Amino acid sequence: MSEVNITLTVNGEKRHVSVAPGLSVLNMLRDKLDLTGAKLVCGEGECGACTVIVDGTSVNSCLMYAVELDGREVTTVEGLQTSEKLDPVQQAFVDKGAIQCGYCTPGMVMQTTHLLKQTGKPTEEQIRRGLEGNVCRCTGYTKIFEAVNQAAEG
Amino acid sequence: MMIEYEEYLAATSVAEATQALANGNVTVVAGGTDLMVQTAASGRGVGTTLLNVRRIADLRGVTVDGGRVTIGALTTITDMLTDGVVADTAPVLAETADRFASNQIRNMATVGGNICNASPAGDMIIPLMVLDADVELSSWVDGAVATRTVALNEFFTGPGKSVKTANELLTSVSFNRPAEGFVGQFGKTGPRPALEISMVSVGVGGVASNGSLTNARVVYGAVAPTPIRASKTEAALEGTSLDDASIQSVLDVADSEVNPISDVRASDWYRRHLVRVMTQEVLESVANV
Amino acid sequence: MSEAIEKTTLIGKSITKPDAPDKSNGRTRYINDMVLPRMLVAKIKRSDRAHAKVLSIDTSKAAAVPGIQAIVTADDTPMVGVGVTKDNPPLKKDIVLSMRDELVAVAGETEEAVDKALALIEIEYEDLPAIFDPAEALEEGAHQMHDDKPGNLSLGYQTVHGDIKQAEKNSDHVLDEVYDVHYVTHVCMGPGCVIADFDTHGKLTMYTQTQYPYNYKMDLAPSLGMHPGDIRVIQPPVGGAFGSKLDVYPFEPIAVFLAKKTRRPVKLFFSREEEFSASPTRQPARFHIRAGVKNDGTLTFRDVDALLNNGSHTSWGATTPFVMMRTFTGHFRVPDVEFRSRAAYTNMPYAGSFRGYGNVQATYVTATVMDKLAEAVNMDPISFRLMNAQKAGEVTPQNSKLEECFLGECIETVAEKTNFLEQYNAFKAEQDSPGRYKKGIGIATSFHNAGGAKIHKSDGCGTVIMLDDYARATVITGASEIGQGIDAVLTQIVAEELGIPTESITLVNNDSAIGPWDVGVHASRTTFIAGNSAKRAARKARDQILDAAAQRSNVAAEELDLRGGSVVQNDNGVPVMKIDSLLRKMHFAGEDAELVITHDYYEPPSEPEGDNHVGDISAAYSHGAYVAEVTVDTWTGVVKLNKMTAVQDVGRVVNKLGIEGQMEGGIAFGIGYGLTEEMIIEDGEVKNPNFRDYKVMTAPEAPELEFHFIENDDPDGPFGAKGIAELPTIIPAPAIANAVYNAIGIRFNNPPLTPEKVARAIVEKQAAKVAAE
Repeated sequence: MSEVNITLTVNGEKRHVSVAPGLSVLNMLRDKLDLTGAKLVCGEGECGACTVIVDGTSVNSCLMYAVELDGREVTTVEGLQTSEKLDPVQQAFVDKGAIQCGYCTPGMVMQTTHLLKQTGKPTEEQIRRGLEGNVCRCTGYTKIFEAVNQAAEG
Repeated sequence: MMIEYEEYLAATSVAEATQALANGNVTVVAGGTDLMVQTAASGRGVGTTLLNVRRIADLRGVTVDGGRVTIGALTTITDMLTDGVVADTAPVLAETADRFASNQIRNMATVGGNICNASPAGDMIIPLMVLDADVELSSWVDGAVATRTVALNEFFTGPGKSVKTANELLTSVSFNRPAEGFVGQFGKTGPRPALEISMVSVGVGGVASNGSLTNARVVYGAVAPTPIRASKTEAALEGTSLDDASIQSVLDVADSEVNPISDVRASDWYRRHLVRVMTQEVLESVANV
Repeated sequence: MSEAIEKTTLIGKSITKPDAPDKSNGRTRYINDMVLPRMLVAKIKRSDRAHAKVLSIDTSKAAAVPGIQAIVTADDTPMVGVGVTKDNPPLKKDIVLSMRDELVAVAGETEEAVDKALALIEIEYEDLPAIFDPAEALEEGAHQMHDDKPGNLSLGYQTVHGDIKQAEKNSDHVLDEVYDVHYVTHVCMGPGCVIADFDTHGKLTMYTQTQYPYNYKMDLAPSLGMHPGDIRVIQPPVGGAFGSKLDVYPFEPIAVFLAKKTRRPVKLFFSREEEFSASPTRQPARFHIRAGVKNDGTLTFRDVDALLNNGSHTSWGATTPFVMMRTFTGHFRVPDVEFRSRAAYTNMPYAGSFRGYGNVQATYVTATVMDKLAEAVNMDPISFRLMNAQKAGEVTPQNSKLEECFLGECIETVAEKTNFLEQYNAFKAEQDSPGRYKKGIGIATSFHNAGGAKIHKSDGCGTVIMLDDYARATVITGASEIGQGIDAVLTQIVAEELGIPTESITLVNNDSAIGPWDVGVHASRTTFIAGNSAKRAARKARDQILDAAAQRSNVAAEELDLRGGSVVQNDNGVPVMKIDSLLRKMHFAGEDAELVITHDYYEPPSEPEGDNHVGDISAAYSHGAYVAEVTVDTWTGVVKLNKMTAVQDVGRVVNKLGIEGQMEGGIAFGIGYGLTEEMIIEDGEVKNPNFRDYKVMTAPEAPELEFHFIENDDPDGPFGAKGIAELPTIIPAPAIANAVYNAIGIRFNNPPLTPEKVARAIVEKQAAKVAAE
């Protein structure tokens, strides 16, 4: 099987990666770029733990082929923080107790980032619908909703 | 399990894509949301070449030309939610898009992909069938792109199967701009608003006036091997003044027309029950228009 | 000297989890993310038959796949079982007893190579008749699954108190019902994973998700033919546990076999499908309950027969009657009680421990039975419960000493906060009126151990505290962190005792070679037990510091306190010296030099059960009363949970953020049990091993939640705290079922209340009504 050379921007940095055509974005990030924030949980787009942002849109990285990223821009949970301080969404998840085991957190944080970009200050309904593709098994979501609200307040 | 493809090709035009298809042994990827799951489950792809059609710019977007609305196959479900033409001509498509999977999947999944996947439960198919949509299939014939048009109603032949041949690419879906007074409704059920594979889905459309529907369309998902037009139900509905009694008799016809199975998601009994109550819900709301 | 420092307390405040920042930005390396040098990856080939003879296993083609380094079968192993009764050899030989049974394992350089090899393993079977129903398994002539288990009987429990026959005669009403409770599973976000690594001395390091690192060594070692002392357990961060990692399961020794064979680190991990089909479940059961009441509302007796599907092998699931019986015999004042259980081997999956441990099942039964009995004597659900609620000082038949008891207070509070009776009566009156949507309100209560549970020889936990020259404290605890937040609680407790900021504390609890013993994260015990141990160790450090301060000042130790990083005078808060400078003086004091390193091992004042399962097994008990408010769509059968109001006796809130998180998350499990979650198993095969068809609660479904904590310091709890995290999982489902009854007048003795089940019951009820007319 021949691999394909692609060039993409990952968290603001240009990267050249050689990928098999069948490789998912998630496995490329985890295995080839050592970005293990995004998680493999369900592998079928039902849980959102692998959520990353591609060209400004949130996607399930487990469902996307890495080859499709050629020439495109991807942001992962590792790329949000631009200073020593956590990104406001990340900080809100910490402050509000929205993190227990934390395995869903990278996906939640990325989807929240996308949601806030789309809606500014989302309504309760928009938060619930915006996170409908992200499963959390620990928190029961209440504190995640609170975190989204805190992040939206800015 | 990762699928091993020997080759990858990112087509930027329909010509390029259909030529690749003509060479055979190709797996087409658009949004990818179904493909990755299906191939991972089976452990194999359908071809040795992975053909990415996502970069064919012409195939994304909704246009209206005279009385004809055309949706490019690569238009995403999120596009359907926000598109002005959709909102203006066929808001039922946006309402359906809102009940489709999750935000992330809506961002990736395409209308063409949802049709080609040919699931009996495919959400977008239902309202498109209500709109009497046709699909355009393109292929490379004698050194040029050739197209043919197939009614969506006649497109599906079984679960995951359609009349589309291996060398054809679904390039668009189109329908006549609905008449004045047209109402379309889509329903699916479950405790979740969207992230459910429909146990049953229902689409109803027609021109509503004085509590009845003319040019009625009734479509069901997940009650047969393919999404189905319920033509007897449509006939029973056509022009009928919708009151409690007439709705019940329409429901009896609908019940006779569906042939659901039992599976892990629902029993045949419950699917039949849902056909009744969901149709009733839609018809009652139409009756009040 | 500087200004006076006021006495403040951290207890009851919100402390964020110390590990949260790294979890928020992707920095945390979970076990699933770990890569060791030269590490191989491994997977398991499982049986695809529920019950069969294994005629042959051919691994030759698999071995030829490039990159494959080792293949193991039962022949490569000592064939010593793991699990609660050691009946589960990690790799099976000759016979498979369930679809999940492990037959072969492969280790290779890449996942792709291992996948290829697995697909090339050829196994010949001869099918044997399979049994899936426990009653069938107990019938005469049923095939015997395990040579040493005649009649397929696994574990049985019995406790008898009083005279049921006489009590039945004295009852005005006797309820006689059968309940069937179902299979659910943990659905940890992080799939199962273990890394086994031998050092050059032949000692083994296990990187594992286990939530009981110390007994884990003891339980793992025999299956490997090793000494437990030669095993070191390292616990990297895990993606959830919820009780699923409280036993040794076959995949763990299998990884070790491969590591031993290859002399390389081996990481073995589960697919999501395996996580559903090959991880432990919650114990399913059939209960036959008879319960009596007098016309005045006094409970008379409870008699319960429980039949458990043990599955093919035995993990903690089969022991859950131990907890079930406490609730059946001890929740509400019931003078005469009997409980009998049998677990029968079948060719089904087997159950492990799962948050709520038997009490989820028992409370579904008792809390709905209480509603039915209230109705039988024409009493409302609140008054009936209040009149039968125990009071402080009462003792249950199994000798749970309810020295303090806030059951009545919980019920009264939740009834008042939800305006229960008014709503209940209004909804009841609406049951048969026209209309598609019906509202309902329901209450459920339970009680649970809240001060540990003495099921092992020790229920203890150890702590070591070391202070450095800068007044930074390292707290080494035996208690594991699995996401539940003990890290924050212990940090808070030690900071409170030592008067130093929480940021000055580093918690170490992920290495059995460093940490002192603990029995594990289970039984709502960690805040109580580990909290007490940490508090006592910190108290010793505090005493040592205050003694040293007294020696170096003119103030007696008893008159000193530690606040804000300083030693201060207790009465006026005036600082005497900084703690860090004092610590340096203590450290560099020549021949009198001392370091502040203290330790404590805390064993709670509880007793193991004796004959007839009598014993005060927990140092504290806690009650909760929850109310569910639902809307039933009578057309589709969808039950929408609008709100859950929870009132719980918690002793004392330590970390407000943490306790809320445990309540919210626990309730989500309870809701899933009641409404949506169900493993569909046909002929021993899990038919919905994925997130699509196994429905965990998602964000749009999350109900409104309201909590009221009943706070009265527990005399033995750390700062008065009790363990709290299981009741939220235990109580919601029957509260929902009772609310659905209030809405539509239909009882469900078989959770979950899925749309189809509810719709069918409504249609049947309507048909029966039409037939009657």
